[in-house]
Amino acid sequence: MALVELRNVCKSFTKGDQTITPLDHVDLDIEAGDFVSLMGPSGTGKSTLLNLISGIDRVDEGSISVDGVGVTELSRGKLADWRAKHLGYIFQTHNLIPVLTTYENVELPTLLLRLSSAQRRQRVELALEAVGLTDRSNHYPSQLSGGQEQRVGIARAIVSHPQVVVADEPTGSLDTKTSEQIQILLQRLNQELDITLLMVTHDAEVAAIASRRLLLDEGKFVEQNTDTHLKSSG
Amino acid sequence: MLKYVIKTLWRHRTRTFLTVSGAAVAMFVFCFVGSVQEGLNRLSNGEDANRSLIVFQENRFCPTSSRLPQDYANQIGKIEGVADVMPIQVWTNNCRASLDIVVFNGADPEKIQQNRPLQLVEGDWQEFESRRDAAIVGKNVATRRGIKRGDQFSIGNISVNVAAIFESNVPAEENLIYTNLDFLQYTQGLDSAGLVTQHEVMLNNNADPDRVAREIDQALRAGPVATTTRRKGAFQASTLADLVDLIGFAHWLGFACVGLVLTLVATTTVMSVEDRMKEYAVLQTIGIRPLRTLRLVLTESTLLCLVGGLTGTGLALLALSLGGFAIGAEGTTIAFQPSIDLLFYGIVVSISLGVISGLVPAIQAATVPIVKALNQP
Ligand SMILES: Nc1ncnc2c1ncn2[C@@H]1O[C@H](COP(=O)(O)OP(=O)(O)O)[C@@H](O)[C@H]1O
Ligand SMILES: [Mg+2]
Repeated sequence: MALVELRNVCKSFTKGDQTITPLDHVDLDIEAGDFVSLMGPSGTGKSTLLNLISGIDRVDEGSISVDGVGVTELSRGKLADWRAKHLGYIFQTHNLIPVLTTYENVELPTLLLRLSSAQRRQRVELALEAVGLTDRSNHYPSQLSGGQEQRVGIARAIVSHPQVVVADEPTGSLDTKTSEQIQILLQRLNQELDITLLMVTHDAEVAAIASRRLLLDEGKFVEQNTDTHLKSSG
Repeated sequence: MLKYVIKTLWRHRTRTFLTVSGAAVAMFVFCFVGSVQEGLNRLSNGEDANRSLIVFQENRFCPTSSRLPQDYANQIGKIEGVADVMPIQVWTNNCRASLDIVVFNGADPEKIQQNRPLQLVEGDWQEFESRRDAAIVGKNVATRRGIKRGDQFSIGNISVNVAAIFESNVPAEENLIYTNLDFLQYTQGLDSAGLVTQHEVMLNNNADPDRVAREIDQALRAGPVATTTRRKGAFQASTLADLVDLIGFAHWLGFACVGLVLTLVATTTVMSVEDRMKEYAVLQTIGIRPLRTLRLVLTESTLLCLVGGLTGTGLALLALSLGGFAIGAEGTTIAFQPSIDLLFYGIVVSISLGVISGLVPAIQAATVPIVKALNQP
């Protein structure tokens, strides 16, 4: 059984008298340890897919399970509990809590787990080390650069040791150089910490760092396994 | 998580400060009004409200106009059910409603000691009994007027030597100054020898107060001056009738304050939450439950109310204990006193208001449409 399984998933939106169906009866399997990138033109439903997997949005039809847990069956409260333990979400615009420091932002998800304060501290320090921001612990988001903010967002997404991390255009609002740093970081998280990653991007070069590349087109997934765009990570 | 709430409030400290100040002012007024209400309730429901009677001249209201023969006391004393009679001469600087009323009660020192619940905090009874112009002064008047033992205190035509300061578990007592009966009868220049303002009648344990009152009025009808006898509680309530109306009105003022705190804190919390809908969506995406989101917002509004409420209540209690405020009319006074009840009331009201005012924004935050809020710029 795959770690993430989508079966017959359908999602449509109505805007006025128009109905858009970004996901039209789709199936998808993601294996544990995979690094999957998802590309596709704007408005094709990539974010919607991440939102459905995270349970912050609801399917119209079909089912989604993550490690055997039927995400589509859970109540809103139970979904929050499940996300706290098993899912990390990296936003395009990092969405850090402005009143909290780097350390406190990363600590936030661990407050939802049963951990001793020593264990909590250790986790936060490890996550900050993984993204290379140990020396920025006491800075507030407004005192960080865009790339640093995104790294805090990544640390926050991995601090609870989730099974799956989804990332919605994590490099979308960064310059090329910072974007490259983030790409390397994501690749390391996947390879060294064995985190299963599903990353949406509109940039082919960013997509190329993933081990498996998908294209979402007209409501269906297309595998992109030609290695023409594959870029070495060195 | 509390850290998040406090830091959020701190981030908008101007707004927080203004809201807290508003809540403090309103709760200050609320407690002040509450203490007036408490004072009034004590007068009409106090221990002695129904166990003693006041005999007053018929159809007279101000103490200066009621003049009863002192020897009525002998006749009253013979009526069944009467335990003791204390003739009292009353003098007040102001017969109308006033915030700085000074009331002298002249009576026999021995009877005062027997029938009034007083404890001397400075000075002794001996000195009060032995000096003709000696007076014992209630703590409240002493605080308000800055009177100490040994002082010469003068007001109007009266000048007394302060022999002692007393406390009482009946707060209205603490607004009185007691002198010897004959001293007050002679010095006020009213030619009151042999006359008193009223007789206070202490009843036996099982005597029916209304029956005794009727019998007193009947017995004295034959005398030179007709009387009206009422329970002490009813007597005080009727002397203060005008004030009671006012206080009833002030009660509404108290409710208005509650409404004020409610709208003030609710407005601040709604504003704060609506600004941060996206933040609540992020928190829930991270894994914070809707119920916990609800609690975060309620904590925020409750903190605002509690800090404001405690400040206001605390200041009100401080003012009440330092000020020795009293309002009075026609020789009867209502003491405004700080009390544990008021403190408790202030805290409970603040917490309740905090929870109620945060309820709507808390539900908004808990049920935030996550994806829609995340997509906001
Ligand atoms: N809440 C919504 N209401 C109406 N339409 C929506 C909503 N969310 C997304 N859509 C529409 O669904 C389509 C897919 O959106 P999205 O998943 O954000 O696309 P992508 O991330 O691939 O750019 C878009 O056409 C978008 O306009
Ligand atoms: Mg998108």
